[in-house]
Amino acid sequence: MCLLLATLPALAAESDPAGAARAMALVRTLARPAPARTAYTEVRFVGMLDRALVLRGEMTWLGGSRLQRSVVTPYPETTTIDGDTATLQHGQRAPQKFSLGRAPELKDLLGSFVALLSGDALALARDFTLHAYGDQAAWTLDLVPRDAAVARRIRDVSVDGSGKTLRCMRVDETDGDTTFTLLGPLGDAKLPDAPTPAGLATLCAGA
Amino acid sequence: MNNEIHAPDPPRRAARGVIVLLLWLLALGALGAYSAWQLRISSDLRAFLPAPRTSLQHLLLRELGQGAGARTLLLAIRTPDAERAATLSSALRARLIASGQFNTVQNGSGDLQQIAPALLPYRYLLAPTLDHQRFDAAYLRSELEQRLDDLGAPGASVLKPLLPSDPTLETLKLAERWAPRHAPPLRHGVWYADSAALLLLETRAAGFDPDAQARAVRVIEQAWAGLPQHAQAHLELNGPGYFGVVVQALTRHTAEHLGWAAGGGLVLLLLLAYRSVRAVLLAALPLLSAALVGTTVLALVFGGAHGLTLAFGITLLGVAQEYPLRLLSHRRIGEDPRASARALGPVLLLAMASTAIAYLAFFASGVAGLQQLALFTLSGILAAGLSTRYLLPMLLPVARRDAGAQRWLAALARGLTRLPRARVFAVLLALAAVFVLLLAPGPWWQNNLAALTPVPLPLLQREGVLRKALGAPDVRYLLVLEGDSAEQVLRHSAAAAPTFAPLLAQGALDTLMLPSTYLPPLAVQRARQARLPDRAQLQTALDQALRGLPYRAGLFAPFVRDVEIARTLPLLTPQAFERTPLGGLLRALLIERHGRWFGLGLVGGVRDPAALARAAQATHGLVRLVDLKTETESWVASYRQRILAALGGAALLLITVVTLGLRRWRAVLRVLAALALALLLALAALRLLVGALNLFHLVALLLAAGLGLHYALFFERARHAAADERLRTLHATLLCAASTLLAFGVYALASLPVLRALGLTVTLGIAANLLAAALLTWPRATPPAC
Repeated sequence: MCLLLATLPALAAESDPAGAARAMALVRTLARPAPARTAYTEVRFVGMLDRALVLRGEMTWLGGSRLQRSVVTPYPETTTIDGDTATLQHGQRAPQKFSLGRAPELKDLLGSFVALLSGDALALARDFTLHAYGDQAAWTLDLVPRDAAVARRIRDVSVDGSGKTLRCMRVDETDGDTTFTLLGPLGDAKLPDAPTPAGLATLCAGA
Repeated sequence: MNNEIHAPDPPRRAARGVIVLLLWLLALGALGAYSAWQLRISSDLRAFLPAPRTSLQHLLLRELGQGAGARTLLLAIRTPDAERAATLSSALRARLIASGQFNTVQNGSGDLQQIAPALLPYRYLLAPTLDHQRFDAAYLRSELEQRLDDLGAPGASVLKPLLPSDPTLETLKLAERWAPRHAPPLRHGVWYADSAALLLLETRAAGFDPDAQARAVRVIEQAWAGLPQHAQAHLELNGPGYFGVVVQALTRHTAEHLGWAAGGGLVLLLLLAYRSVRAVLLAALPLLSAALVGTTVLALVFGGAHGLTLAFGITLLGVAQEYPLRLLSHRRIGEDPRASARALGPVLLLAMASTAIAYLAFFASGVAGLQQLALFTLSGILAAGLSTRYLLPMLLPVARRDAGAQRWLAALARGLTRLPRARVFAVLLALAAVFVLLLAPGPWWQNNLAALTPVPLPLLQREGVLRKALGAPDVRYLLVLEGDSAEQVLRHSAAAAPTFAPLLAQGALDTLMLPSTYLPPLAVQRARQARLPDRAQLQTALDQALRGLPYRAGLFAPFVRDVEIARTLPLLTPQAFERTPLGGLLRALLIERHGRWFGLGLVGGVRDPAALARAAQATHGLVRLVDLKTETESWVASYRQRILAALGGAALLLITVVTLGLRRWRAVLRVLAALALALLLALAALRLLVGALNLFHLVALLLAAGLGLHYALFFERARHAAADERLRTLHATLLCAASTLLAFGVYALASLPVLRALGLTVTLGIAANLLAAALLTWPRATPPAC
C-alpha cells in the first residue's frame, strides 16, 4: 500500500514512465561527435501567406550548446546560437544579436535541435515531456513543451526517424501554422511546386 | 550654620508630600496624554537637511526622497525550481498590484511587445520612423520583403501577431525604446536569473520616509506569507527604501536592548549609592517631567516632531538626570530637603540657565530638525531643573546618612586638593591635544550620507548586483533639463537625445530614459502626422508593393485603417500620456516645481561618468549632469557649517551667562578653561580613534560639554564650601559621571555606527570633562574651618 502511494506522484508527473524511458534511450542513440552537420529543408505553412515558405541550408551542431543554422536559398542568412544568445546575419545587413531569454519558445526549439543532434536526452526531457512510438525502423518522438510560456505558442513537436538517423521534425504552433524541417536523408528531398502539409507528413512517415 | 533647619512635624510633611506627588503625577499624566494625542512623529529625514534655496536644490531634494531611484524596491524569489519561482512571482505581483501601495510592479510578465492599448493608435506619432521615411511603395516593398524573410527566420512567432496591423513594426520599435535594455532573461514568462525570479517595484511612498517604506515592506511580507507554497522559496528584499527600514529596526532593537542593560545597571548603582528605593524612584520624576514637557512643547509649537529629534533629545536630557542626583547627594542628616535645595539653588539655576540658553543658538540654524531638538532640550532641562529645585524637596525623605561621609571619598578629595602642579599638567595636556589635532592625518569631516544611515555591507553589495540585473536606474547620476513649459522641456530633451546615443552604443552607459524617449514634443508629432499618406495614397502604394509577394489578399487592411486613424488623432500631450498605464513613467521624468518645468534623464549602468559629463557639456546647457552623491555631500557640508555656527553661538551665550552668574573673573576663567580643555581632549581622542567626524559626534560632544559645565560649576562652588560639603559635591559629581558613563559606555560597544558614535563620544567627553574639572576647578586649598 505504502509502495503504491509512493509511486503515485511519479505517475502523475509522467503518465507513461516506461514510454519516457524508451524515448530517452532513443534520443541517446542519436548522439554523434561534434561538429554534426546535416543538410535541411524547412517548409513553413503560414496562415498569412498564400503559399508555403521553403528554405534550404545546413544545420550544424558545433559542440556544447552551440548551433548554426545557415539558410542558402532563397536568401543567405545565418543564425548562430551560443547558449542564451543568438546572432542573426541576414544578407548584407549588420549582424543582429538578441537574447533568447526574451523568446522562450525559440530557446526551447533551438535547444531541442542541439539535444537531438548531440543525443542529450536529459536536456530534451528538461524542456519537454517525451513519448516514443513505432519501431526501430520507423520511430516517432513526441515532444510537448513543459514551460507554460512556450506552450502558449507551440502546441506540439514531433520528430520522425529510423534507426540512428533523424528524418523530419514537425512543429505545430497554437495559431495553426506548421513547420516541417526535413533532415538527413530527406535534407535534399525534391519537393512539389506547391507542397502541402499532408504531402510532407507522408514524406516524413517514410511511406 | 543658619540653614540647618530640621524636619517639620513628620505627619504634616507626609500628608503634603502625598498631595504634591499626586498633583505632580496627575500633571505628568495630562502632559503625556496631550502629547500622545497631539504629537505626530514624522520620519522624513529631510527635516534634518537645510532648506533648499535654488529651484535645482528643490528638485534634487524631491528626487532624493521621491525619485524613481529612491522608491525602487528589488525583490528576488530564490528557488532552483524555475517553474515554482514563476508561479510565486506572478501570484505575488497580482497581490502587490491589488494592494495599491505600488506605482509599478514588474516581473517580466506581460509581453514586452504589448504596449498600452491606449497608446497603440499613436505609434506612428511616437516612433521615429517617419522622420526619415515615407509610406510609399518603395519603402513598403522593402519592409514587406523583410517581413517575408522574418517569417522564415527562427523568431517568426513573435512577429506574426503584429504583422497585419503593423507591417513596419512600429510597435516593436517603441517596445525596444521603452523596455529596459538590460532586462534579465525570461523563464516561464517571468524574469529569472541566478536561481531567483526577480521583481522591480516602485513604491507610492517616498523613499526618504522610513515609516511609509516600512508599511510597503509589510505589505510585501504579508502578501508573500499569504501565498501557497511560499515556504518552498526564499523572498529577498532590497533597495534604498528597504535599507531605511532595516537600519531603523536594527537601531531601535539595539538601542532598546542596550537601553535595558544600561537602565538596570543605573538603578543598581543609585540604590547602592543612596540605599533608598523611595529616593531613587522619586529621582526619576524630574527626568520624566523633562521628557513630557519637552514633547508637549514640541506638540504645541511644531505640532509634530521628527523621530530623530526625540531620540537625540532624550539623549541630551542625560544632562537633566544630574539635577535630582545632585539634590540627593547634597542632603544633610536630619535636614529638611527643602533647605538642601535652597542651599544648592544658585548653582543649580546657573547650570540650568547656561545650558538651556546655549541651546537657543540652534534656532538660528534654519534647520527644522535642529530647531525642534533645541526647543525640546531647552524646555526639558528647565522642567527637570525647576521641578528638582521646587517640587522634589517636598517629597524626598529626610536623609538618615550623609552621602559624602565616606572614608574613600575623603581620601580622594585630599588627594585631589594636594595634586601637585595641576595647572602645568593641564597646559601640557592641552598642548598635546592641539598637537594631535593639527597633525592627525585624514579629513576632519565625514560627508558621506551613507555614514549617517549605515546599511549592512552585504545588503549594499547585493543591491548593486540586483539593480544591474534588472537594469534599474542608477541612484547616483541624473540628467536634468529645465524649461518654461512641459513642451519646452520635451523639445530640449529631443534636441539633446542624439548627443547621448553614441554613449549607449559604446557601452559607456547601459540605459538612458529621457522624457522625449516616451513622448516626443508636439512639433515632432505634428511633423510625423503630416507625413502620413491618406487612405487612397496608402492603398495604392501598398497594392504596388504587394505585387508578386505571397501575402494573403486583404491581410493588411488593419494597417490601412490604423494609419487613417493616426492622421486625424489629436496630438498626444503630457497630460493625455500620463492618463495611460505607462503614464507613471513620464510623470517621474517631467516635473513642475514652482512654475518651472524640469525633465529628468534616468541613466543606468554608468561605466564612464567622465564621458557622460562630456556629453552633457556638449549640449550647451540643455542638459546638466547631476551627481547626487556630490550634491548630498555638499549639502551635508553646508549643514555642518550651520551646526558649527550654532555651536559657536551657543559657546558665546554660555560664556555670557556663566560670566553674569559667577561674576568673579577668576572663577569664570577657571570654569571656561576647564570646558575648553575638555573639548580639546575629547576632540583629540576622537580624531585618533575614529578619524573623520560626523553629525552624531557633534551632537554627542554638545551633551558632554553640557555635563562638563556642571562638573566645573559645582567644583567651583566647592572652593568656598566646608569639608563635608566638598565631599558631598565630589560624591554627586562622581555618581553623575558614573551613571552617564554607564549609560553611554554601553552604546560605545554597539556595532551600529550611529550608536557607537554617540556612546564613544559621550564616554570620552565625560572622562575629559571630569579630568579637566579636577585639574582646573577643584579647590587647591584646604577647606576653611567652620
